[in-house]
Amino acid sequence: MSKEYTFDKDDLKKIEEIKSRYPEVTPAVMPVLWLAQDKFGHVEPAVQKLVADTLGLPQAHVQGVASFYTQYYKKEKGKFVLDVCTSFSCQICGGYEILDHLENKLGIKAGETTEDGMFSIQSVECLGACGYAPMLQVTNDKYVNNLTTEKVDSLIENLKQGKMPEFESIPMPQHETES
Amino acid sequence: MAEIIIDDKKFEFEEVGKVLQFILDNGMDLPFFCYHPSLSIPANCRQCFIEAGQMVKDRESGEYELDEDGNPVIRWFPKLMTACSLDMADGMVIKTHVTSEKVKVAQADTLELILINHPLDCPICDQAGECPLQIQTYKYGPEGSRFEHKKVHKPKRIQLGPRVILDAERCINCTRCVRFTDEVSKTHQLSIVSRGDKNYPITAEGQVFDDPYSLNTVDICPVGALTSADFRFKARVWEMNQTPSIDVTNGKGVNIDLWTRDNLVMRITPRFNKEVNDHWMPDIGREAYRLFNENRVSKPIIKLDGDQVRSSWNNAFMTVSEKISSVKSDEILLIGSPYASLEDNYAFQNWFNRLGVSDVYFTPHIEKGYGDDLLLVDDHAPNTNGCKALGFKEVDAKKMAKLLSDESYKAVFILGDDLLSRVDIDDSALESKYLVSFATNHTETTKKSDLVIPITSSAEHIGSYINVDERIQRTIPAKETMYTNRKLDLEMSMGRLDHFGTKFDNWVSDKNRVDCIPAWEVLVRIGNEMNLEFNFASPQDVLEDITDKIPALENVSYDRMDKENGIALKLSAPKSVTT
Ligand code: SF4
Ligand code: FES
Repeated sequence: MSKEYTFDKDDLKKIEEIKSRYPEVTPAVMPVLWLAQDKFGHVEPAVQKLVADTLGLPQAHVQGVASFYTQYYKKEKGKFVLDVCTSFSCQICGGYEILDHLENKLGIKAGETTEDGMFSIQSVECLGACGYAPMLQVTNDKYVNNLTTEKVDSLIENLKQGKMPEFESIPMPQHETES
Repeated sequence: MAEIIIDDKKFEFEEVGKVLQFILDNGMDLPFFCYHPSLSIPANCRQCFIEAGQMVKDRESGEYELDEDGNPVIRWFPKLMTACSLDMADGMVIKTHVTSEKVKVAQADTLELILINHPLDCPICDQAGECPLQIQTYKYGPEGSRFEHKKVHKPKRIQLGPRVILDAERCINCTRCVRFTDEVSKTHQLSIVSRGDKNYPITAEGQVFDDPYSLNTVDICPVGALTSADFRFKARVWEMNQTPSIDVTNGKGVNIDLWTRDNLVMRITPRFNKEVNDHWMPDIGREAYRLFNENRVSKPIIKLDGDQVRSSWNNAFMTVSEKISSVKSDEILLIGSPYASLEDNYAFQNWFNRLGVSDVYFTPHIEKGYGDDLLLVDDHAPNTNGCKALGFKEVDAKKMAKLLSDESYKAVFILGDDLLSRVDIDDSALESKYLVSFATNHTETTKKSDLVIPITSSAEHIGSYINVDERIQRTIPAKETMYTNRKLDLEMSMGRLDHFGTKFDNWVSDKNRVDCIPAWEVLVRIGNEMNLEFNFASPQDVLEDITDKIPALENVSYDRMDKENGIALKLSAPKSVTT
């Protein structure tokens, strides 16, 4: 049932390069997990095992690292993973309303994936963008800030057409008055 | 000499160690969880907080600076320090909860935090009674908790492996178990997963925690998160007696504690001995508790018309003396045992020497490749070196089979050993002989014996064993036999139930005493029957005789073994040095 995962020659070369950056092997776990996630879309246990075996480290150790970070997907996820921040700042600015709206719109709960495999929703802790709360992040990549329900709707439409949001530079209020 | 001041008392020290260990070594108390003397120091539980400072020295005069009141000036660390990771230094000043309000508050606060999501299910937890978390909370914890919200739930009753069960809710994430598998057993099977209030230790997905030393994690877990699958829910700690002993299932001679209740051994745990096993023992050694409880020979057994039936002691003694009188001394084959104690082996040898039989043979129980790099050795028996020290003739299984089928022997005496399970021999070869075995348990050997004399196991007698490293160590009786009484035997421990239990209690009965006698005593009694001058009164007596006769064992005594945690002997002549 579980798929076979392997690294090809190119991957192994990259991994060697990553390893050469550190005096020991353990620090290479994070970038190699990252590389694996880029390749397979997730780092479920079989992928963790591949990473562990490739680096010659205990599988338990790799699992410990992978499970520490929400950014590593321990299960297969949708094509787009929407990480909605529900930490304090976003929460008081309506983070839960945004999450609620998304859940209703996609018909899934946080932690689930739509049947067509397009979207997953996660409720996550602070992503360090309190100044533009409420916000969400798309698949460990672009931030979508100052969210409103309309903004969420158009984001979903765009993603369905394969259009990732653009990077948005938001000046802080104090900088605005300066200029 | 370097000095350190702890709670206004001055202590001298030579070796720079950690403050926590020094405090403990000097008989003071300081609560802690994650620290373990035989593991690395992560300082993650924060329970061992202390105030620490350094007396200021005047650089020129080299004297300590004094303030206006004549007290030394102390430069304090700005925050509380963890004593477990703090190196001692000359002129250091430490304040624990005894003298510092700040430390007291910190200890209570840390406990309050640790207990936020702890289920507090002590009444049904195996660890209760020997739980550092429970003890520290009673001593140093807060009155109640300010966290009156729903607790975080985590996996419970997870069978990590064949012998260990995890209750993640009880875990305080001290990482002792993880460090054990990383640093001691080196299987690296455990790791903490997730983070924050969700984390707990577990094996990698799909991996079984089958570490051959896995049960040590149960011992060192400072809460009831890891419990033994076998011992779970069998006995409360305060119902049991704890008796120091020696592992008799391997030649390493791991130091252990036998935990008994109502004369059943309930569990076996390792006992610290720096020279032998540190704080650890292999899982397999803990299985031995069954040997002490189950399948025991109780009352002599005699073969009548091919059937083994129970017999009286008197009958058994008479049978032996008659048998011996009916054969010549060179028709007797004596087989000593690497499983029996030094005292029993010696008494066996000495008794028959008086009858003119001088040779005692034995076959070691060695399995090549069985051992590991940690605490298991190839030798399965605890006292192979004891047999060698007594000058027994070592023969391998093949030669032993030959001896056993030698027609010239009419009577064979086998001491405390399931010899026939490791010697390949035809039943018919034994038929012409009278086979007497002194045995603790029913085995292949006892099945084939004409007379079985039940003797005490290492859980019931005082006996010395010489391990593979030539260290002599002894056992102390933990279980009563039909003929011993812990109230009278000052060596035996008395638990709560022994003091206060009555026949109407659940756990007090007379059922579990075995009808057996120490081998040396059996021989004394048969000797009386035969008017032999063989008059030992105690194992002590036997040992004294041994130490008188064998130079390598000179000055060995139980007292010394107890005080020195066993004595390293020099049995073999030093190997000649080739240059
Ligand atoms: S299971 Fe026990 S030993 Fe392991 S981390 Fe938790 S509390 Fe510590
Ligand atoms: S014992 Fe845990 S921090 Fe010191």
